[in-house]
Amino acid sequence: MHFRPLHSLVLSLGFFLATVIPVFAGEPTQQMKQTTEKILSVLSNPDLKDPGKARERKKQFSQILDERFDWEELSRRSLARHWVERTPQEKKEFVPLYRDLLERTYLEKVDDYSGETVRYEGETLDGEYAIVKVKIQTKSKREIPVEYRMLKKGTTWRVYDISIEGVSLVNNYRQQFSSMLQKSTFQEVLKKLREKSSFENP
Amino acid sequence: MRKFDVELAVGFFLLIGIICLGYLSFKLGKMEVVGTKGYDISAVFSNSGGLKVGSGIVIAGVDVGRVRNITLDNYQARVVLHLPTDIKIQEDCIASIRTKGLIGEKYIEITPGGSQKTIPPGGKIRDTQPAVDLEDLISKYVFGKI
Repeated sequence: MHFRPLHSLVLSLGFFLATVIPVFAGEPTQQMKQTTEKILSVLSNPDLKDPGKARERKKQFSQILDERFDWEELSRRSLARHWVERTPQEKKEFVPLYRDLLERTYLEKVDDYSGETVRYEGETLDGEYAIVKVKIQTKSKREIPVEYRMLKKGTTWRVYDISIEGVSLVNNYRQQFSSMLQKSTFQEVLKKLREKSSFENP
Repeated sequence: MRKFDVELAVGFFLLIGIICLGYLSFKLGKMEVVGTKGYDISAVFSNSGGLKVGSGIVIAGVDVGRVRNITLDNYQARVVLHLPTDIKIQEDCIASIRTKGLIGEKYIEITPGGSQKTIPPGGKIRDTQPAVDLEDLISKYVFGKI
């Protein structure tokens, strides 16, 4: 087959345009929108409001978050260099504990929900990576910029980092884990996470 | 003949003086002569917060490189980082713009990732954290509630 420079030029230009130009309301935004809507519908569900239903509510949240968040990727990025040194067994233990920690932090924020609105500000696509930009408007009209960084796995886009007001979640935990592992062993970190999780959901 | 020797010596010393001056200005100005060992990678920040060409790049607090160029790209700051060849940056590293002290100069901190893949010369750091503007942050909490 002959090499056709014109074809490859057109093709690469196509790729270039497809990857560089921000696309509005593309696949990642739509999937993120679905997740947000599901969370909002659980939050505003009057049947789940009373404290007795807290467990049921939490279960539903976990289900929704599991679909959208890539816990293993989040763990891998948060532990960074230390992830490579871990045995498969340790990794298996770490991921659910870390998921618990993040879920709790997320739910604490979401629990005081009182009519905040979410506005989608567009997205940037770059191959299998995407950034979905969102502005959350509180009741006091303060706007909080949030960025979901997503990675495509199969057909679904899954979140691997969130940055709020420009501060990245993964970077925050990466630095914390790194300084923790400087002083203590991985088992101690696991123990700390386990204690925290059993303390808050007995 | 003797007069000619003196003139030659003066010229010679003057030349050495100029070379020394040139060397000093390069050294003190932290300028790099084209072709130093190293490679460039880029990173896009939504706010560079007054980062300058020549600002430091640190990993774990150790100065490893310099900012080579800052340009505006689609209303975002595109920063070119110059790093020595022996320092490899993982693909999932995070570059953030930080401030020395409360109002000190800006620098870029790279928190290394755990990926096996490293960023090739000319590559791009995907995950960045813009400069946090202290004044902006304070005003949000002072004037936040309307």
